[in-house]
Amino acid sequence: MGNLNPIQILVDTVSVGGLYALTALGLGLIFSVMRLANFAHAELVTCAAYAVFALSGQPVAVAIVASVGTAMVLALATERLAFRPLRSADQTTMLIASFAVSMFIQKLLIFTVGSRPKPVDPLPILAQPIAIAGAQVSLLKLATILACIACLGALTYLLRRTSIGLHMRAAAEDFTMAQLVGVRANSVILAAFVLSGFLAAVVALLFVAQTGFVHPRLGVQIVLVGFVATVIGGLGSLPGAAAGGFLVGALATLLQALLPAELRPFREAFLFLIVILVLLFRPNGLWPAPGLKERV
Amino acid sequence: MNGRAPLLSVRDLVVRYGAITALDGVSLEVGEGEIVAIIGPNGAGKSTLLSTVAGLRRPDAGGISFAGTPIAGGALEGTVRRGIAYVPEGRHVFAGLTVLENLELGATVRRDRAEARAHLESFLDAFPILRERAGEAAGRLSGGEQQMLVIARGLLSKPRLLMLDEPSLGLAPKIVDQVYELVTSLRRDGLTVLVVEQNAGRALAAADRTYVLNAGRVRLQGRSAELTGAPDFDAAYFGLKD
Amino acid sequence: MTAYAAAPHAIRPAERLSEIWRRSATLLVLIAAIALLALLAGQADAVLQRRVIFCLVNLVAVVGLYIFMGNSGVLNFSVVGFMAIGAYTSALLSMPAAMKGTFLPDLPLWLGAMQVPHMLALLTAGVVPALIALLVGFPIMRLSGIGAAIATLSLLFIAYIVLGNWDSLTGGQGSLMGLQTYVKLPVAAAVAGGAVAVAFWFQETRWGIALRASREDEVAARASGIRIPRVRLIAFVLGAFVAGVAGALFAHFQGTLRVENFYLDLTFLLMTMLVVGGSRSLTGAVAGTFAISLVTELLRQTEVGVTLPGAAVTLQTPAGLGDVALAGVMLVIILFRPNGISGGREIDEMWRRRAGRKHRKLPEERNA
Repeated sequence: MGNLNPIQILVDTVSVGGLYALTALGLGLIFSVMRLANFAHAELVTCAAYAVFALSGQPVAVAIVASVGTAMVLALATERLAFRPLRSADQTTMLIASFAVSMFIQKLLIFTVGSRPKPVDPLPILAQPIAIAGAQVSLLKLATILACIACLGALTYLLRRTSIGLHMRAAAEDFTMAQLVGVRANSVILAAFVLSGFLAAVVALLFVAQTGFVHPRLGVQIVLVGFVATVIGGLGSLPGAAAGGFLVGALATLLQALLPAELRPFREAFLFLIVILVLLFRPNGLWPAPGLKERV
Repeated sequence: MNGRAPLLSVRDLVVRYGAITALDGVSLEVGEGEIVAIIGPNGAGKSTLLSTVAGLRRPDAGGISFAGTPIAGGALEGTVRRGIAYVPEGRHVFAGLTVLENLELGATVRRDRAEARAHLESFLDAFPILRERAGEAAGRLSGGEQQMLVIARGLLSKPRLLMLDEPSLGLAPKIVDQVYELVTSLRRDGLTVLVVEQNAGRALAAADRTYVLNAGRVRLQGRSAELTGAPDFDAAYFGLKD
Repeated sequence: MTAYAAAPHAIRPAERLSEIWRRSATLLVLIAAIALLALLAGQADAVLQRRVIFCLVNLVAVVGLYIFMGNSGVLNFSVVGFMAIGAYTSALLSMPAAMKGTFLPDLPLWLGAMQVPHMLALLTAGVVPALIALLVGFPIMRLSGIGAAIATLSLLFIAYIVLGNWDSLTGGQGSLMGLQTYVKLPVAAAVAGGAVAVAFWFQETRWGIALRASREDEVAARASGIRIPRVRLIAFVLGAFVAGVAGALFAHFQGTLRVENFYLDLTFLLMTMLVVGGSRSLTGAVAGTFAISLVTELLRQTEVGVTLPGAAVTLQTPAGLGDVALAGVMLVIILFRPNGISGGREIDEMWRRRAGRKHRKLPEERNA
């Protein structure tokens, strides 16, 4: 961190938190309509990142389209092949299944491209820093923030103003009742997977641009923190997931800045400790979903 | 029944939960334009009957046909597309969605957008409280308002058959009056209603015909007016007769 | 309901004895299978022996996972974390002082100087995780479903991060080398047999039966007076003990320790073994461990290259395919046989079914 310029901290927090927020939203969308904690979201991110890597020579637009396409197709494929047959299964079985899907894709990726990290720099234009109010802020981080805001805005519009969005929110609250008024189960679930794939690709692109590497466990890293964010925000609550993402981003930045040096490596352990505490004391999260019933 | 083919016909329906038999060979018919009530004590199988017709459970035996065609499984979202609106017990509003959104969801299956919109407006006119609170979360409405909302939501699909499960449960008598006023007013539009009630007096007063269900079987049936004074009514209702 | 109509009278003492005997058949067969495997492996070459030892060490860990997850039906991702704690506990207690000086110069003096006998270190490797499980489990046993899964997953991460960064105690990301490798076939087989016996004993106790009742129907179990968090905690602690012992075996089998080894891959392997076997029975835990070990070994063989007898070509699959196949097997089992190989039944129950006795009541049903 070095010097603690407030603007720099803010930009760091929001750009990190934004990625977590988008990840948490991807997880939250699936959870809200299917009650599935989708570990395989990690591989959507990873595969989208590899798509960017595979097309590094090409114009950046091509790479972006390809990565979005990859993540969406993969999301739909996992739904069709693994999660749809298990729709009526219990939460535990679905969770184990998503763990297996995640491992399957990850191992397949390692098998085909190897496990070594590979350098990639999809957005070199954004590398240079600019000065804002005396702080050196990287253009990339600003772009990340803008992209996150754009995604949040688009998602909010979709959920609030379109009929598929209304159907998804209804299904999230009470799936059976939604079906009884005529909402088609397949449409809302497919829509949730398509959107989560899209968000995974955006996260992959921005994350890869920031770190400059792809490796097969890249998605796991982000998605685990994304889970932290969804739990803190409230499982099944989309505003909660977004808020949780920013909160986790802020916590991570703060812990990094405030913890004594010898405790800094344990930073993430504190995050997971917070998750356990939230589960114990606020099991529905800090911003609970309105209609989410605790299932006995 | 006027000799016409019934809109809904249930034949020898059997539904079991594990070792417990909830419906043990129930048959009933609902003619087009009729209001039919099913009454009976707690655990008689009334709600099971409605939810099975709605497609929430699969019958273990027997058949259900609607408008002459058998209803056999399929996706749950097909029920309302067939023309059956089901309002389950317990006022299932989408609590986090606004009142208006709840109503819009009722018209999910409508293709006639403009007409559906006008239909929706007519409910907002009929229940000024819903218009007043259209932008608020439906979960914040009172029990009676929620009941009106879910019935209106069911009607917005323009069903041929409306199935109501315990619409008076937990409501103040004055509100129950309103609910039944609404139900009987629907007859004028030619709607068919099948209503399940524990509140036998209300149901008998509103319905053309009534079935008395106890322990999974139809114990008594007939025109409501005739049932009210029938000597074996109490015995059937409380399961004293077999 | 009707199954009992044939036996309306109370269970006679002789019947009860034969019931106990029949149930114990499961334990006897499982122990015999372990002994047989160890005896056969004793005749095999050193490489194969190592594979069998590894399988037995995994079996101990899977049994640790089963004791909680199998009986309670609640997901538990933390087992590998407890294994890691057990592994480092045993390593720190049993390494010669000189070795510790080399690898862990910053150890507290008393720990640096300490060296205890292996068996005591092994026991402590179970006790320390068990105590930690008691402490952290006490609050989180209230959780079910997704909550429990994420909480136990968080425990795994915390263990991983803490052990991986506590340089003075564990050497951090580096390897800890020079552990005595006393875990050979007899030790591995004996501990595996012991773990299976402990798990069997547990599931026959009042707690075990209560816990399985809560697995079948939480509400009904609570209504019949079962204190679910308490019986879960007992299983969680016992499971952590067995997992800790497994971790110590792992350490003294490999001779080196890396925190990296105790993470998601191992978690997935153990969970695959349990789920493929059928997480609802001890028989399933053992069967799954054997089956997956066998599959893994066969896949490894094909990666090395196999010449089928009489065939002119050598089959060789590229490295890494084994892991893909393993995850594939797991997926196929979940999708098509969610109760695993065993169908969630113990051996005696399988025999009874085969003998045509229809629907004898399982203990949990009897309880509920």
